[in-house]
Amino acid sequence: MTDRLLLGLEIAQFFYAEAEFLDERRYDEWLALLADDIRYWMPMRRNVKFGDTEREFTRETDDIAWFDEGKDTLTRRVRQIQTGIHWAEEPRSRIAHMVSNVQLLSVTPDEREVLAKSRFLIYRNRAETETDILVGKREDTLRRDGDGWSIARRKIVLDQNVLMTKNLTFFF
Amino acid sequence: MHRLSGYRPGLVDNATGLISREIFVNEDIYAQEQERVFARSWLFVGHESQIPNPGDFFLSRMGEESVILCRDRKGKIHVFLNSCRHRGMKVCRYDDGNTTVFTCPYHGWSFGTDGALAGVPFFREAYHSELDRSKYGLIEVAQLCNYKGTIWANWDASAPSFHEYLGEFHRFLDLILDGWDGREGQAELLGGVQKWIIPCNWKWPAENFSGDTYHNISHRSVDLVGAGPSGQSRRDYGELNVARKLHVTIPDRGHQTITYALPRDYQPQAAYQNSPEVAEYFRHCEEERRRRPGANSRLIGAPGEIFPNVALLPRQPRTLAVWHPVSAHQTEVWRFFFVDRDAPRAVKNFLRDYYIRYSGPAGMTEQDDMENWNYAHAASRGVIARRHPYTYEMGMGYAVENYEFEGLRMPGRVVDLTKAQASEEPMRNLYKRWAEFMEADNWDDLMTWRHVSAQAAQ
Amino acid sequence: MSGPVNIRTLAAGTRVVLASGAEAEIVSNPHDGVWLFARYLPAEGDPAGAGEEEMIFAQDVVEVRG
Repeated sequence: MTDRLLLGLEIAQFFYAEAEFLDERRYDEWLALLADDIRYWMPMRRNVKFGDTEREFTRETDDIAWFDEGKDTLTRRVRQIQTGIHWAEEPRSRIAHMVSNVQLLSVTPDEREVLAKSRFLIYRNRAETETDILVGKREDTLRRDGDGWSIARRKIVLDQNVLMTKNLTFFF
Repeated sequence: MHRLSGYRPGLVDNATGLISREIFVNEDIYAQEQERVFARSWLFVGHESQIPNPGDFFLSRMGEESVILCRDRKGKIHVFLNSCRHRGMKVCRYDDGNTTVFTCPYHGWSFGTDGALAGVPFFREAYHSELDRSKYGLIEVAQLCNYKGTIWANWDASAPSFHEYLGEFHRFLDLILDGWDGREGQAELLGGVQKWIIPCNWKWPAENFSGDTYHNISHRSVDLVGAGPSGQSRRDYGELNVARKLHVTIPDRGHQTITYALPRDYQPQAAYQNSPEVAEYFRHCEEERRRRPGANSRLIGAPGEIFPNVALLPRQPRTLAVWHPVSAHQTEVWRFFFVDRDAPRAVKNFLRDYYIRYSGPAGMTEQDDMENWNYAHAASRGVIARRHPYTYEMGMGYAVENYEFEGLRMPGRVVDLTKAQASEEPMRNLYKRWAEFMEADNWDDLMTWRHVSAQAAQ
Repeated sequence: MSGPVNIRTLAAGTRVVLASGAEAEIVSNPHDGVWLFARYLPAEGDPAGAGEEEMIFAQDVVEVRG
């Protein structure tokens, strides 16, 4: 029990450190947390009839999504921001990630792989008064990597139907 | 309030190429265009593959309003206003699904998939069986057209057919809806429609997709880091270096596009080199396409706009976008993504990945467009800003009729951009047609092509 | 008198009692929670009223017979 609590704490600390990299624009350190084979997927959500839960989300690998990325395109997205002429992020957005409700859904016996679920609240403010608040859930597969962890898979579930923000130039 | 009479030359001046900012930011003009443009135009509603079975429905929009695209129990396709005839509540609040009835949750009125009013609570007791239920079916569009699987609808019974409305522009829409190998109507819609809100008037994206080849600098950052199908730039450009780059505008219809015309004896170059399977698929398709007779085998599609609010992207990403007006200052974009129905799964997956990183709110290209439209709109709302019209003077007087390139004839008026790079002919064409809609009291006045042919007959 | 009945998930073949006292058998259920398509069962003293298929409003259903 104590071991599991400590592991939960360790994972939460990992998420906080990751959020710190993103919010402080330390993107190369953030990229270093991503496994080379990462899948970073954010499905879209439909309004469906009660009980029709299977169709609430667009399907992985078959359907369109908001994001469906590997490390290559995530790296390109970072490089795009770093050109300094990516007008949608120039001037830069002010972003704060809150991560909470960290739960370990499963842990492999050797404790080298963890499936963790959490909530996010992302506040973005840019230009003068432009403000977005995005809230939802993340399901992360984390892999032990030396002393730390790397993100092998991230499923992002945004609690919106029509996206209420003009663009997604930031990371979840 | 601003003078709303005299759209031409007051607000849209084709002689000088000046267009007032009012048409983007003025709320009275916005209110009028709901009636005069959106209630009379052919609008894109969805794709038949979204409703393959009886009872299937897809919730769509026409202008500001919610509509239901549905296939009734007998297999017939309908488009209904999503509003109960009793008190107006939406009878459907699901994005899609299958049903036998559309039931209003307010008082319980219930409609069949053919729109007929079927259930009225306490019909005998409260209405004394006296209500004529046949008068209160769901409100249905006046005209509907299934064009190669895409469903278009019009609220105006006096509008011409969709085919006549589209005119010769159909060949550019065909570039999306026909297979890459040239077979007719092979497009399949990928699951999921991207929907998002952008803070600008709907005409910003409409004019951009009409053929703005001048704004490449907006996308410099993605060109630098590369998001294209071969990992470079934004797209695979090979064949474009030998093609004629054209603006094609259909003046009496208000449709316009960029397109590339290939030389007669052009042999397709290898593309999609990152993936052998995808490269092989497109090589095969290109070969087939050239073998098939028809003018489209030498066209490479590029952004275009079907009046008023449907954008084509016929190449890759292969999409249709609809700019739904929400207010003078807000637009809800719906983007639909297409692939060849018979393409191998690996090809579909490859394209899907590319579409997602290119298009939509997370698209590395499209992100920058939204920023520009957002703040161009915001900075045009002030009273001082409104005094100063935008200039659309680029390339005035350079459009020609009967344009031909090595035996390939183009419809409408054409500007050759191969050297010029850009012109504003498509935007002038869009706003000229827009002004005609705002001024005309009926469709007779808008069907100028019929007047011309009637005169010729006399 | 029992409480309100949720008709949304009732299966075809289920018998329900209506406010009038009549009994009906569900022919099909559109699962909207508001309506049922049902056939009246013969009632005592009114055999002629049986067999008619009608749309039954949820508020008319007072009891599920199973």
